[in-house]
Amino acid sequence: MDPVFMAEVLVRLLPPLGLTILLSVTALAIATPLGLALGAWRAELPDRHPAARLIDAWVFFVRGTPILIQIFAVYFILPKLGLQPPLFVMGVGALVGNSAGYQIEIGRAAVQSVPKGQWEAALALGFDRRASLRQFILPQAARRMVGPVMNELSQLIKASSVLSVITLFELHKAAEAISSANLRFSEVIVVEGFLYFVFIFGISLIAKAVERRLSAAGGLADAGSFAR
Amino acid sequence: MSFDWAAFFEYLPRLIKAAGVTLQVSLLSLGLTCLLAPLLAMGRLLGPPPLRATVQAFIEVIRGLPPLVVIAFCYFALPKIGVVLSGFWCGVLALGVVGAVYAAEIIRSAIESLGKGQLEAALALGFARWRAVLDILLPQALRRILPPLTNEFANLIKASSLLSVISVHEISQVGQSLIFETFVVIEILVQMAVLYLIIIGGVSFLSRRLEKGLAE
Repeated sequence: MDPVFMAEVLVRLLPPLGLTILLSVTALAIATPLGLALGAWRAELPDRHPAARLIDAWVFFVRGTPILIQIFAVYFILPKLGLQPPLFVMGVGALVGNSAGYQIEIGRAAVQSVPKGQWEAALALGFDRRASLRQFILPQAARRMVGPVMNELSQLIKASSVLSVITLFELHKAAEAISSANLRFSEVIVVEGFLYFVFIFGISLIAKAVERRLSAAGGLADAGSFAR
Repeated sequence: MSFDWAAFFEYLPRLIKAAGVTLQVSLLSLGLTCLLAPLLAMGRLLGPPPLRATVQAFIEVIRGLPPLVVIAFCYFALPKIGVVLSGFWCGVLALGVVGAVYAAEIIRSAIESLGKGQLEAALALGFARWRAVLDILLPQALRRILPPLTNEFANLIKASSLLSVISVHEISQVGQSLIFETFVVIEILVQMAVLYLIIIGGVSFLSRRLEKGLAE
């Protein structure tokens, strides 16, 4: 272990870390409103509705295949359709498709976890379904979404490392390139791991603090999972 | 863009063989997970303070890393300290350890969710602390552990796709090299997706059955 080399690597990995964060944050900013809205809508749709089937199929595909396959699908199929967007757009697109699929489930579970009595009370007070949903159910459901959505950001940072397979120079790809150019694998991996860890651990600390303040009961926050 | 069924069936056998490798590597790492996770959970719940802190730090570090980084670490950094593993066994080790860390958290939170009363009652009855955990708390926690644990198995299968970067010949690696070899894109991508959907769908079907069985 050579501390000077590692310090050098740390400096060189900062711009790729920025790209990793930009990718994840952009994807989250698009996927969260999309996924949560679709999920809340899906909670209200009957199972046989065509839109419900479409949403279910999306969730089934996203949760039933590794993110690597979803990235390949974007990377190989778009050019076949005559589209050649920049890698960054493809990467964000793959992450959005993936994350929205998981967030649909977050939104749906949050809406469905609001006790039935809340619906009945709102309807009994003379609000129609739409108004009940907007004024009574969604505000309660929103609190339960906060924890899982913050967790989603660290999931996206982890998932964005897989974009290295389409030669997008985010943190993992850059680290890989530096280590194979210098043939010093362990030192670079330690620095790379340190950067990922600081970020993901930091986010999880913030998420825990926010959740404690909202004290969103309902047990929707899970330990998180490691694979997409 | 038309679908070429002839190409679809030509390459199918190779991908089915690769699906066997995916299953093998996932099952072996599940085995390692089941071996390590209880040890980590017990170390964190029952160990002396220094052990507890070490285990907790290990869990937090692995949880803070993308699985791809753990895989790369096992493959590139472990040989430096004399541990040389083939891609396959390196994958089993990396996925097994990552899976164990998440599973240990599942076990811990299940035991903690039982409430303090159970432990206090057992201690008051004169059980030693470790006997109370093993004989009283763990059997009760098991019902809450099994369903999320099967879910972790589905995650292991998905994560096994990452082993394509260390050239383990599982579905993703074989599919990717077939695409570059033949330029048959859609048909092979569909095969890869369908094979994963079948395997992961099967696992989550079993997990739902198990959950229903335990609820009764």
